[in-house]
Amino acid sequence: MVDATESSVVLARARQGDEDAFRALVEQHSRSVFRLAFRMTGNEQDAEDVVQESLLRAYKQLDRFESRANFGTWLYRITANCSVDLMRSRQARHDQSRGESLDAAEQMPAGDLPNPHRLAESAEIQDRVQDALGELSPLERAAFTLRHYEGRSIDEISATLNLGTSAAKHSVFRAVKKLRAALAPLRSQTS
Amino acid sequence: MKHYSEDDLTLYYYGESRRRLGGGGRDAIEQHLAECAACAHTYRDIAATLAMIETPDVPERGDQYGLEVWQRIRHQLPERGGHGWSAWFRFERLTFVAAAAAIAIVAFVAGRWSPREVAHDGVRLASSTLAERSGERKRILLTAVADHLDRSDRLLTDILNTSASTDISTEQQWADDLLATSRLYRQDAIDAGETSIASVLDDLERNLVEIVHSPSNISAADLEQLRRRIDAAALLFKVRIMSDELRKTQKIG
Repeated sequence: MVDATESSVVLARARQGDEDAFRALVEQHSRSVFRLAFRMTGNEQDAEDVVQESLLRAYKQLDRFESRANFGTWLYRITANCSVDLMRSRQARHDQSRGESLDAAEQMPAGDLPNPHRLAESAEIQDRVQDALGELSPLERAAFTLRHYEGRSIDEISATLNLGTSAAKHSVFRAVKKLRAALAPLRSQTS
Repeated sequence: MKHYSEDDLTLYYYGESRRRLGGGGRDAIEQHLAECAACAHTYRDIAATLAMIETPDVPERGDQYGLEVWQRIRHQLPERGGHGWSAWFRFERLTFVAAAAAIAIVAFVAGRWSPREVAHDGVRLASSTLAERSGERKRILLTAVADHLDRSDRLLTDILNTSASTDISTEQQWADDLLATSRLYRQDAIDAGETSIASVLDDLERNLVEIVHSPSNISAADLEQLRRRIDAAALLFKVRIMSDELRKTQKIG
């Protein structure tokens, strides 16, 4: 565990371009960066890409980091925004697959809907949840992840994603509305 | 009766602050939900949906994950602080390049002196010779790492036995040289799949960095802190055990 004094010394050295000091920061924070990136993207390989990109971005922007701030919080913001950027860059692929999945859903006969026994299997429910999360826009997904999984308040989401509080709030609202609509069949089956 | 919107009820579900909820805050919503069947139904629906969305299990990442990430990004880091070409000629980089060249030359010579019958005896002999060369390279690496660990052992012992207010600049220069070499060997160990060697070298490097960056005229407090770090990592013990194991492996090989 790196204490506050040690951490500030390491940070000061990293800002001066000391690669060993930056390496210490990478080793200290990589796992938490991966955790957030995975929750944001829902995909292991994407999360690895985000980890890499976030740390490189942090290194390039170290001059902008204020020494009074908390490095972990700063890196958390960079990671959240890198995740949004990556999800946006995947948008074209996502849109294409969404079109296909909507077509498939429209063609699905009523008899193919999962029965209550199958729905009772949590894994299957979570698969459906993942599909529903995949339908959200990158910003909606990011805001929802921060609110639902990370327990961040609207004010914190706003600061993390560099949004106004109204935009942050409405991103969460839109995400919840879409999820309610997408998961309605599951609710009626399970209730 | 004023009803609450879906958005208000979402904020309420997430326990957002009174300021965000407006009106009478959480108490007012709670009271309303007890009295209004329509809003209570909407709220139950929101809560049921959100309760379905469990926090996903994040794939496990081991203790060495930070190190793996570092290995992936280290070569992509842009130069900072305008080091430019001069950085290439810093002592540790020259040492690194010299050590890499030495290993390459030894590997080449080992290859040149390996049996020449390969061409005559077909693919089976060719593959066995390749395996021998690979084994030879590994043996060279193990020998080099064992020597490196012995030198590090001597440095750490010196540091542990030094007295406060002594000038340790000679030891720091020595540590700096060992640090540069250690990075090279650690990368080779990772490439060769020798994770336990890489792990010991990693521990060693952390402590070498501390020695290099300590004040040259070390105070009693700094020295004590250095010793505690080395003791806490059981570093000297690990270095000696690893060196012994490598020597034994060489003898068996």
